Amino acid sequence: MSFSKHMRIIAAAAAGVLIMTGCGAKEHDAAFFAMDTYMQVKTYGNEDVSADIEELVRALEDDLSVTDEQSDVYRLDHEGEFGVSDDAYELIGTSLDISRRTDGALDMTVYPVLRAWGFTSSTGYRVPAEDEISSLMEYVDYRRVDISERTVRLPEGFMIDLGATAKGYTGDRICALLAQKDITSAMIDLGGNITALGTKPDGRPWKVAVRCPYEEGYICTLDICNMSVITSGGYERYFEDEDGNEYCHIIDPASGHPVRNGILSVTVAGENGTLCDGLSTAYYVMGAEKAVQKWREYKDHEMIIITDDNYMLVTPGLEDIITVTDDRYTLKVIDDED
Amino acid sequence: MMKTKTWIAIIAVLFAVCAVMSVLIFTRKGHVAKVVLDGRVIRTIDLDAVTEEYSFEVRGEGTNVIRVRPGAICVSDADCPDRICVAHGWESSGGAPVVCAPNKLVITISDEDIDGVTF
Repeated sequence: MSFSKHMRIIAAAAAGVLIMTGCGAKEHDAAFFAMDTYMQVKTYGNEDVSADIEELVRALEDDLSVTDEQSDVYRLDHEGEFGVSDDAYELIGTSLDISRRTDGALDMTVYPVLRAWGFTSSTGYRVPAEDEISSLMEYVDYRRVDISERTVRLPEGFMIDLGATAKGYTGDRICALLAQKDITSAMIDLGGNITALGTKPDGRPWKVAVRCPYEEGYICTLDICNMSVITSGGYERYFEDEDGNEYCHIIDPASGHPVRNGILSVTVAGENGTLCDGLSTAYYVMGAEKAVQKWREYKDHEMIIITDDNYMLVTPGLEDIITVTDDRYTLKVIDDED
Repeated sequence: MMKTKTWIAIIAVLFAVCAVMSVLIFTRKGHVAKVVLDGRVIRTIDLDAVTEEYSFEVRGEGTNVIRVRPGAICVSDADCPDRICVAHGWESSGGAPVVCAPNKLVITISDEDIDGVTF
């Protein structure tokens, strides 16, 4: 055997070892604060696109932020009419679609009420008086958002906030960027909104844990590929009044009050991150029974509903990829039909 | 010139070393908390090695008090306006990172089995 042949064997063996140990694909980490949360994007491949990812997220935040005075959304809220960016236009359109399919359980116009409860300002949480809430409720109705020819128009007093769908949309946009760069393996974590691109570099599915509401640790894991997994729950942002009543940051657009309906969290999984994000909020608002009905109607996603009587309601599509790690919760598979 | 057998032996040894290394690297069960302030790791704590509860203060754009107990960590007090970090409570391995966005503080806990946490 010639020397070069030996070298070739060694090179092949070394490549084999690298692949086996997962060292072949280089890991690149983007980690930064944006959209009021901590974002981590791990990509695998030769090219490091961390800077492009951060730039994309910052550009989206500049368009979609409800508090930044230069943003498209802020200007729309304060001018009543604005020719918004392509991203803002698309996201407003998609969010309105989700509002329609959830009968208004997701409503971007609930913002004036959310603000009254103090969830968006640094002035602190408060319980508004009932007449204050009912007068603000006059400005809550997604059907009055007029969107046409790149321009969005709001009736007097109306304000919108895309907080319930912006991170899901951002995950979708990051995926599109990675596809352009021929990156096929990535873990995108936008403050707990997870999008898994492809599989892990070693070919196994990504393991994503669903956080235990109110407590440390997690209650189950999902093995996923090419999927977004997004959770809404009242446990992350809430406050208590002097009497110990708890108020969460998700406002029911029908009542103007924080949601309280026996659901601890809703996790929605699917291919479209924007839809998963919007539906997780809408389902949290509508309650378990109606959420199950809506799922039966569409069946274009999977979901996990965790209830305060310790059940995990899971759609049949997740049965094979879920592992329950917390035995205090009983897994119940949702029936396909009524 | 070395014999083919020698080369095979060298390759076999290489394989064995890599296999052992990868097992060591990928199955390490340490639960290490990293305290990251404005992108810089300012403290690394092996939660499995903690025997007694203690706390310390972290000063960046604001102040957070971090409390550590065997296997878990939390932010016990903070001067940020939303106090989401304090409301998060104790966190252990495989849990979500404890985040204080106003003060640019993140506490992550490594868990080799979990790639991401949704919350």
